[in-house]
Amino acid sequence: MSLARMLMVAREDLKELRGRPLLWIWLFILGLTAFGLSHGEVRISSGDAAVGGTKAWITSEFAQGQTFAMVGLLLYAFFVSVLAGMAVIRDDELKVGEVLHATPLLPGEYVWGKYLATLVGSFAVLAAHLAVTMLIYQLLPLDNADELRGPFALAHYVRPALIFAVPLILVVSGAAFLVGTWSRRPLLVFVLPVALLLFGAMFLWNWSPSWLDPRINRLLMLIEPAGFRWLNETWLKVDQGVDFYNKSPIPLDSGFIVSRGILGVLALSCVAIAQRHFQRTLRGVHAVRAAGRARQAPGAARLARLRWPAGLMRPRARRPASDTAGPGTGYVAGSLRALRMQSHAPGLITGIVDVARFELKELGSSPGLYLFVPIILLQILGTSLLALGAFDTPVLITSGTAAVRSMNTIALLVAFLLLFYTVESLQREWSTGLAPIYHTTAARTASMLFGKAVANTLVGVVIVFATFLGCAVAILIQGKVAVQPGPFLLVWGLLLIPTFLVWSSFVGAVFALTRNRYTAYGIGLGALALTGYLQTTGRMSWAGNWDLWGTLLWSDMGPLQLDRPALAWNRVLALALTVLFTAITVRAFPRREEDATRIVHRIAPGRAARSALRLLPYAVVPLVAIVVLVVQVRSGFQGPAVRKKEHDYWKQNLATWKDAPLPAVRFAEIDLQLEPRRHWFKVSGAYHVWNHRDALLRSVPLTGGLHWESVSWTLDGADYTPEDRTHLYVFTPPRPLAHGDSLTIGFSYEGRVPRGATRNGGGLPEFILPSGVVLTSFRPTFVPLLGYDEEVGIEEKKNRYEPKVYPDDFYQAVLEPAFGSQIPMRTRIRISGPAEYAYNSVGTLTHEEVSGGRRTVVWESDHPVRFFNVVAGRWKTRVGNGTRICYDPRHAYNVEEMSRALDAARLYYSRWFRPYPWQELKLSEFPALAFYAQGFPTNITFSEGIGFLTKSDPRTELAFLVTAHESAHQWWGNLLTPGKGPGGDILSEGMSHFSTLLLMQQVLGERERIEMCKRIEERYGDRRQADSERPLVKIDGSRPGDVTVTYDKGGWVMWMLDRLMGRDAMLAGLQEFMTRFSDGPDYPVLQDLVATLRPHAPDPAAYDAFVQQWFFQVVVPEYRITQAGRTKLAAHDAGAATQGPLWEVTARVKNRGTGAMPVQIAATRGERFPKPAAARARQEPAPSAPPAQGAQPGSGEQPVPATLPASGVSTAGVGAAPGAPPAEPPKAARIGLTTSGSPAEPFAEQRATVTLGPGEEQEIVLRCAFEPQQLVVDPDALVLQLKRKSAVHRF
Amino acid sequence: MLAVADLVKVYPGPVAALQGISLEVPKGMFGLLGPNGAGKSTFMRILAGLLEPTSGSVRLDGVDVLGNPLRLWSQLGYLPQEFGFYPHLSGQSMLEYLLKLKGVDAPAGRKALAAQLLERVNLSFAARRRLKSYSGGMRQRLGIAQAIAGDPRLIIVDEPTAGLDPEERLRLYRILAELAEDRTVLLSTHIVEDVAVLCPRFAVIRNGKLLAVTSPSEARAGLEGTIYEGQVGAGDLDELRATRRVTQAILVEGRNRVRIHEQDGSPPAGFTCVAPTLEDAYLLLMREAQAREGTAARAAPPSAVAAGQGTP
Repeated sequence: MSLARMLMVAREDLKELRGRPLLWIWLFILGLTAFGLSHGEVRISSGDAAVGGTKAWITSEFAQGQTFAMVGLLLYAFFVSVLAGMAVIRDDELKVGEVLHATPLLPGEYVWGKYLATLVGSFAVLAAHLAVTMLIYQLLPLDNADELRGPFALAHYVRPALIFAVPLILVVSGAAFLVGTWSRRPLLVFVLPVALLLFGAMFLWNWSPSWLDPRINRLLMLIEPAGFRWLNETWLKVDQGVDFYNKSPIPLDSGFIVSRGILGVLALSCVAIAQRHFQRTLRGVHAVRAAGRARQAPGAARLARLRWPAGLMRPRARRPASDTAGPGTGYVAGSLRALRMQSHAPGLITGIVDVARFELKELGSSPGLYLFVPIILLQILGTSLLALGAFDTPVLITSGTAAVRSMNTIALLVAFLLLFYTVESLQREWSTGLAPIYHTTAARTASMLFGKAVANTLVGVVIVFATFLGCAVAILIQGKVAVQPGPFLLVWGLLLIPTFLVWSSFVGAVFALTRNRYTAYGIGLGALALTGYLQTTGRMSWAGNWDLWGTLLWSDMGPLQLDRPALAWNRVLALALTVLFTAITVRAFPRREEDATRIVHRIAPGRAARSALRLLPYAVVPLVAIVVLVVQVRSGFQGPAVRKKEHDYWKQNLATWKDAPLPAVRFAEIDLQLEPRRHWFKVSGAYHVWNHRDALLRSVPLTGGLHWESVSWTLDGADYTPEDRTHLYVFTPPRPLAHGDSLTIGFSYEGRVPRGATRNGGGLPEFILPSGVVLTSFRPTFVPLLGYDEEVGIEEKKNRYEPKVYPDDFYQAVLEPAFGSQIPMRTRIRISGPAEYAYNSVGTLTHEEVSGGRRTVVWESDHPVRFFNVVAGRWKTRVGNGTRICYDPRHAYNVEEMSRALDAARLYYSRWFRPYPWQELKLSEFPALAFYAQGFPTNITFSEGIGFLTKSDPRTELAFLVTAHESAHQWWGNLLTPGKGPGGDILSEGMSHFSTLLLMQQVLGERERIEMCKRIEERYGDRRQADSERPLVKIDGSRPGDVTVTYDKGGWVMWMLDRLMGRDAMLAGLQEFMTRFSDGPDYPVLQDLVATLRPHAPDPAAYDAFVQQWFFQVVVPEYRITQAGRTKLAAHDAGAATQGPLWEVTARVKNRGTGAMPVQIAATRGERFPKPAAARARQEPAPSAPPAQGAQPGSGEQPVPATLPASGVSTAGVGAAPGAPPAEPPKAARIGLTTSGSPAEPFAEQRATVTLGPGEEQEIVLRCAFEPQQLVVDPDALVLQLKRKSAVHRF
Repeated sequence: MLAVADLVKVYPGPVAALQGISLEVPKGMFGLLGPNGAGKSTFMRILAGLLEPTSGSVRLDGVDVLGNPLRLWSQLGYLPQEFGFYPHLSGQSMLEYLLKLKGVDAPAGRKALAAQLLERVNLSFAARRRLKSYSGGMRQRLGIAQAIAGDPRLIIVDEPTAGLDPEERLRLYRILAELAEDRTVLLSTHIVEDVAVLCPRFAVIRNGKLLAVTSPSEARAGLEGTIYEGQVGAGDLDELRATRRVTQAILVEGRNRVRIHEQDGSPPAGFTCVAPTLEDAYLLLMREAQAREGTAARAAPPSAVAAGQGTP
């Protein structure tokens, strides 16, 4: 092989590459991406979000690594695939192959030269990308450049490119080159980037459930070619702190380095295989073989064939050619007239049908389809089956949710597919050389184009149908929900098909206008990227959302009710654009090569305008649709007019009213009329307010809804016109309100919720729709809000301010409640509406009547409340023990379990914290236009996606979990309302999580408690932001990562505190806390809880140490096992007392994190917990039954969890106080049971306890009477830690 | 009647591929003869509606077909110089599909018609074979089959005999001759014999200009008594070229059989007067045109439009 000739091939290819639009489009998109990312929209989620805090730099090696890994897979993969995969195919199409291979050029030189050109071209692009990125990232003027940029270091850019982009380019180019050279089919070349996109960006990047085996996780990290999963799972998922990300180089591990090396080897192997195949097929291996067979024929026969026919020696008689016969003899079988051919130009429809049928046959024989479809199916099935809901619980999919959930994926994937198929089908005639014949047939251009479009769209339809089958299978696998084709037809048939049509026609128009396959690809990808950018940055609206990405929410209770007019117009727009693009395509399709001089004349302004005018009729409907949508969006409740009003509200009232002292509402009387079909409501009512403060109150501010109409007010029964400060109404009574004075503010108005269309779909927290009604007193949606609403008029990037900084002893003052009324109030809520609805509110139902097709109900609070809500629906009801669940009849799947949780919650929380003061505890379902649950007093509301559609099974009873959490808010939130200030929310959310842990352990068992602990621990690890994280007493919900600290860490720490104090002491302290702070006027924060619990702690010193560590500092341990080994001991080493062989396990355990906690290390063998069937069989009786023997109401005593192994695993150290000497580990192995209860595979374990401070390491030695299989840190999930999965060693 | 008037085609460069060609093509076979790069294919592609001219008009039976190529395509049978087919289809399937697109049918049905057409071009034996296994000649025959399908008023065949063996060439001649009985068949070729055999009239084109429109007999008649043939040694040929107008010099069994044009009847010794052929006429025409162009190029400054560079 001549290197010079190989380089010559590469050089010529590179020269040609310079003139190809593909290269420039690629560079342009990369440049644009670099520019877009340079503003810091995408960066590592780390750093202190507070003003002045250290932020994650976009110029760090980690940031660049993340960018190169993402951009690599999303952009490089596609362009490199095209470049490499089409290298040989292009030569085929240009018909230069035969000439080239008739020269001394060897196939090897040709193939490797081509690949070299691909690589050099790709690396040149990478180098240019790097240069542009460095320039933009370091020099582009930015307002927040100081926060975003670190000092320039070449390695920060070059190293990530080498680590992430280069291996990806290598492997993608090698694989695509092989596919292209082997198959010579362009479409197959595109399978690779699509597959990478699907498996990489949509699956490998983020699919990492908590139950995933770390070894599988590691394998997935190493096989993912972009390296993003490795980077994310190893360094980004658990926040390492901004200083690390900003200054440290990316530490590589040997496995990753080897995997990148393997990718490189794989790439070269692909090229080598491509070369071999090329070499074998270049000169027709089959023909050679056939010739070989011929040579083996008997010699005589061959000679006979070679003998010169005697007749030919004579001069041949002249004879007409028609006298000849048979192949190659020149015989013409009769005249053409005898064929009686007729011809007539085929009509439009006939032409379309003929072309479409042919194209479909073509597609049917295309292997690409059979590769794309399974890939897409796998992806969609994966997203459907692995969908997560509240608290990361798996979602139970119904037909509608499956259809909507997979819509985004289908739209994106089919868009890719249609891009390739449309361009390639339009290009095919040129590629094969058929164009001059094809384009001079009598078929109309429209027939050709429509025919191809119809066939390609049918591909989309086939994929949709296959996906339907896949979803149906997924639903059937779940085994709970029936498959219904209706929602699929509605969502995919009516809404998705227009997306396919508009996209196909757009691609066709682009191809027709640009007349270049690669330009069409570039523009198509650019359009997709732009759409994605607008959608992810919130700049999209109904007027531009052609693919309906992220706009739809499904509710089984009433499909697509929120934005029906906007949705309909949006689809009209899509269809009308299809017609317009098709018209453009038909006009511009290059069936005839245009003359350059005439083109110049045509694009002269006058002629161009006339051409455009001819397209005007096609543009009328799209223009009308766009105008209608723009008007709808602008006049809607998310439109600019409303935003301005909100901003005015903020501007006018912030300084005056934000912290103004308010009176308390003592009694709220509301008369609410509802018309769900019209989204309409009317309210008349009154707030009886009372000055509970010592100071005089001169005026009372109320915030009204911006959507209210016909508003009128009264003050103490007389008509009154308050000062209107952009919907903050200020009531000034004749004389100031002294302490104890009261007044009555009456109000009346009507409105619609929502008013008009949303901006771009999505959900709503409150609404009045035919499928259900949700209204709360948290926001001025249907009732006025006392005081100034801090959330109105705030735009995240414009005027969001940081919360107030409180002094450390702020809790010692009298604090106001964090939410709701200043003091508990009484309510009387009268609701009337259509009779087919049921209406729930807080308190007790005191009146109900149905008359004239309308139902009227009255709810009155039987115990004071702080806030109230109204929820309506067409429900079925399940009555429990003092509880009631109102649910959609189609969603009965988990009602039993939820009812059990609700009953248990009411029973046990009443015992543990404080008796439930209200008569009934209700839980009502509302349509999934929002994904939350709210625990209003007596009236919990659940979105249908939470609990009702949670995928519970006997092993993971998740519906129980979410119900228990929301029920806990009756105590932690309602009966005990936290105070306003840092550390308040934890008393609501953290305590609810803690209560849930207690309830799960109590009712379901230890296994479920451990599972939940692990689940919320992992969530904390994933979502915490190390630099932003503050101690629990400082958490105010304002920073990224606060949510997980509030919920997950808060709940976990309370659990650890419970272990430290002991259950009885803990509950006694909580009961005292509840009693002291339930009724105000001082509302508590975390410090108050800490102070209240302290006297109950058995060991105050240990308590103080724990509290200091976990409440006032930010600590979290992270354990690692190193140098683990097991040795089988000889009998004399083990001592005479033991029976059988002994094993000794040695290991070093290190705390790489912070905090010092006693933690157990266990050497184990076998399955600790029985399988679900056995667990079920041994579950505790229903909670409505009398408490377990020995457990007293109100006490913390609990029966032994039913799912513990028969012999129990209340192991050494469990419940031991920190600092206390760990109990002696049990000497003997314990035996567990399997599903059948027979001791087929005994569970055995041996434990030791160590206490490790930050960075401390200790050697442990465990002697076991069994052969250990693994070493586990903290087997009972008693210590919150990071990366628990890494604290396991398998022998 | 196909009437072409003042047809000009300038490619970006600029390269003038056609420099104002006007031509009337009556019913019957009409040949377009010219050397490689003369602009024949450009001319044919414009006539076939695949290429827009820079200026000029093309009318078929008085109807402008440049403005509405679809009208032309419904009456056109076209065999381009370079073409291909979908490689994975069989010949039968490909032809059937093209028949559909052309709107061609027959009482026996389209499938039968396709089979019969394949039989006419001697491809029945390969009807079910994939096109990627076809030889160049087989592909050419399939191209012919689609071009003659239906009842086109105008048939344009661009270098149709390229790649055909002698017998297939004969077959094609007969088919084209039959077709030309009641329609216009425009045959573009650089093989003089094709024109000589088939075309009652033909045009000669060179460097985008029309040099002559005549018939083979007229062309031959003009040279009657001026063509002499003789044999010379290899060393004498150059001298002969310098002093005489050599039309052809063919090696026959190692010696040069040379034909010369002598208007004044004084041939070299050993040369005898022979009947002129169309090839003599064509080659003489080319020599003259070449000489004229050489003179013009020397006389005129370089033009902005480089004429006669052929189709890019």
